[in-house]
Amino acid sequence: MVKPTKLKILWLQSITCNGNAHSFFSHPDFMTLIQKFEVIYHPILDSAYSLDDVINKKLACDILVVEGAFRETGMQKANQEIYAIAKSYAKKAKHIITVGNCSTFGGVFRLYDTESIGGFCFNDETPNESYKLFKKKLISLPGCPAHPRWIGNLLSMILSQRQILLDNFHRPLEVYGYNAHAGCPRSEYFEWKVDSKNYGYKEGCLFYEYGCQAPYTHANCNKILWNEVSSKTRVGTPCFGCTEPYFPKKDLWHTNTLMGIPATMPIGVPRRAYLTLTGVAKSFSIKRLNEPIIKYKK
Amino acid sequence: MLKAETKRGKKRESIIKAALTLFSLNGFHKTTIPDIARRIGMSTGNIYNYFASKDILAQEIIKYTSEVLGEEIRKINQQDTLSTHEKIHKIVEVYFTMATKKPEMIEYFLRVYLSHREVFVGECDKMICVAGFITEIMIFFADGVECGDLRDQDFFSAFGLFMGYLGGMAFLNGEAILPRALEDYIDDIAYNIYNALKA
Amino acid sequence: MKVKYLIEKIEGEAELEFDFKNGLVDNVIISFPFYRGIEEILKDRDAMDALVITPRVCGICNHAHLIASVRAIENGLNKAGININLTQKAISLREFTLSCEIVHSHFKWFYLVALPQLLNLDGIEKPDNYILKASWASTNIVKALAIFSGQWPHASYAVPGGVSCDPTYEDIIQAEALVDEVTRFVENELIGMSIDEYHKTKEISNIKGDMSTIFDMMSKKNIEEKGKSYDRFIVFGEHQIFQTGQYNKKYSNDISFAHIKEQIQHNSKAKSVTYKDMCYEVGPLARAIIAKNDFVLNLHNKYKDSTLIRVYARLDETLRLLMYMKSLLANLNVKELSCTLAKMPKAFEANGVGMVEAARGSLIHQSIIKDGKIQKYNIITPTQWNLSSGTQKEAGVAAQAMKGSISVEEATFVFRTFDVCSVCTTH
Repeated sequence: MVKPTKLKILWLQSITCNGNAHSFFSHPDFMTLIQKFEVIYHPILDSAYSLDDVINKKLACDILVVEGAFRETGMQKANQEIYAIAKSYAKKAKHIITVGNCSTFGGVFRLYDTESIGGFCFNDETPNESYKLFKKKLISLPGCPAHPRWIGNLLSMILSQRQILLDNFHRPLEVYGYNAHAGCPRSEYFEWKVDSKNYGYKEGCLFYEYGCQAPYTHANCNKILWNEVSSKTRVGTPCFGCTEPYFPKKDLWHTNTLMGIPATMPIGVPRRAYLTLTGVAKSFSIKRLNEPIIKYKK
Repeated sequence: MLKAETKRGKKRESIIKAALTLFSLNGFHKTTIPDIARRIGMSTGNIYNYFASKDILAQEIIKYTSEVLGEEIRKINQQDTLSTHEKIHKIVEVYFTMATKKPEMIEYFLRVYLSHREVFVGECDKMICVAGFITEIMIFFADGVECGDLRDQDFFSAFGLFMGYLGGMAFLNGEAILPRALEDYIDDIAYNIYNALKA
Repeated sequence: MKVKYLIEKIEGEAELEFDFKNGLVDNVIISFPFYRGIEEILKDRDAMDALVITPRVCGICNHAHLIASVRAIENGLNKAGININLTQKAISLREFTLSCEIVHSHFKWFYLVALPQLLNLDGIEKPDNYILKASWASTNIVKALAIFSGQWPHASYAVPGGVSCDPTYEDIIQAEALVDEVTRFVENELIGMSIDEYHKTKEISNIKGDMSTIFDMMSKKNIEEKGKSYDRFIVFGEHQIFQTGQYNKKYSNDISFAHIKEQIQHNSKAKSVTYKDMCYEVGPLARAIIAKNDFVLNLHNKYKDSTLIRVYARLDETLRLLMYMKSLLANLNVKELSCTLAKMPKAFEANGVGMVEAARGSLIHQSIIKDGKIQKYNIITPTQWNLSSGTQKEAGVAAQAMKGSISVEEATFVFRTFDVCSVCTTH
């Protein structure tokens, strides 16, 4: 009996920090997952082919994973422009996955030269020339880095040929349909508008005073948790909106306000509704929410 | 919320309107529930079916007036074709028109709400009861900053300037101190407010 | 004879140009092809944006960048007269999370670099489970890190004045359990003996487990005594477990940022860096030498700064850090404040330097702030020290170490013992 051939996965990097590769590597079932594929090339693992082979030969590849921001010229590996190489693999691949905010939208590294550097198919939220070519096979996994489970689950979905529903940026809805605020342990403080006193307290909301973008960031970090145990807001760090086209915004630790009113509302919540609810919440003072959860004896 | 769409709603609104008129004519303390009942031909007991006490009636009235004024400002906020300066003009116009045509509304705010804080504690603490109105002003300011017309600043600095100014003019008008009709001042006031708040 | 070689899987790539004379490496030119411009990206940004942007220099040592970044801001504030005093809790948490990252990185080096590269030299089949071991060990130790930092990679939980987290004993117990599990792994798999036994043993040949495969192969391929460089070491990062200072024939604890010089190299996007115009080595070996680790010093007497001692120091540091991490957790007092800075000053002016020990060596950030905004930001990474092209007088540390290698394979292994990070080098 002929064994079914494994899908060939080629992980190609451009202008990157490697964060997505390391993030995926810390998936709890990494070995099991990766062994279901034939790894043509991966930046950390031993692979069948060298980078030179990948760049200078035309290898077969079913799933192209790209990590890092791109530029037409000026980013070479083995003396070839990497964007051109990536595009040629993309033409033949069955699936194209942009892993991380940089390859999806341009990310941090786009800021060095916004004229020349962008994502594989999007520059911020604007589709570029490559988008037209590849939109039928494109799946975006923005995040800085992308969560290992987003990557692992997507690969498993491809293997099991399940339908992957995408949003207008080609982000899987099972992940990006949620917002990072869902599941935050501080959500009662958000409801009653009790802001955190300072950094370093488990009590208090980070939305108004500390720049937290969770209510308007598409991600499921507070649902599935990072490294299986944690999340930014759980440890008192605001969400920086790393799955969105405009990441990283300026003044990441500050909430943009318009005459004191948060400039960006939770996803889909009209300003009028938010303000009405906030007005009500602010006029009540809930004693429990203004006290520490645990009162330690000195 | 308080739109009089049902029969009960309409009755409720008529009590409020009668109370507003009487508070305006005779003052808050001198007006009694029986006075209000007599004015609209309801029994005193029936009034208490709608409002458990005079203080609660007072709180409901401020919510009502805020909603009425807020509704007018909402209509202005939703007119995308107006510039910020034009919106300011319209808000001033709405306020001054109300102060002229339904003076009992604005007067209630100035002479009852601001002057009898002890009536409005508890359920009406902070600004909850004027939320209908405050929310629309917040939206107006936020929209103005977002489109670059208004200078970003602390909400209360801007709010104090805008509403303090309008309230002050309404007060002077009520005291018959202004030489001209209130509506004659709309253009100048709107111009001053726009210039003070613009980016 | 010139041979070009594209070395990969070093957190990116590098181009090596070997010059062979009489069959031995006479000189190597190391160049890094790409520059991302993080320092420029930071210009004119709010001072605290550096805590989010600088970790993005590197996917494997991002946490070290975070700690260096926050230290740079705190150092600047202190010099500007705003006293920042961290509680012991904040200090311990930062030390703990940083140590987790160092240890995880060393695991990846042993299992994903050293082991496969050495076995490849002889075409020996790699054990099936070496990736699984690397994955399990590194994943679980960074889990302990994430309990306090929120996530790994790319956390920003260290803020001026301390940390943003407010852990309970439940968090600490969970982290302790993970450290214990990883320690057990190290004892069962990496060294094949308990850490106590390890400290009693005085011979590398007594070490069992996967490390013995690494040491045996190095011996078999005669690489043990290759890789000697200038025998000059420097450690800048201040930590309770390490010692700052330099060694150049003799020790000195008196080192200063002022004597560091960076220079643009014409053939590479990486800048070279020297201390008092000399090339110094940074990393686990440097830390062990400066701290006067007696077993390392014994080996040093025999092997000087060869690959064997470079690899050994990495192992020894891993074990010491695991014990250190345990004691940090045991002594944490959750009642202490997490962050002692009541409010970040607005529009402040500061010029601060933050120095930490990352897995690969000393990492330095300098943050010059005016009006609360970054006017200039400078990053000097460990790989810049080890992989500089050198000065007029001498080749760089790793280039010097590769001299005398008999083949590209041998030379590249020597290169890899420096645990190179390409993305950090150019940033």
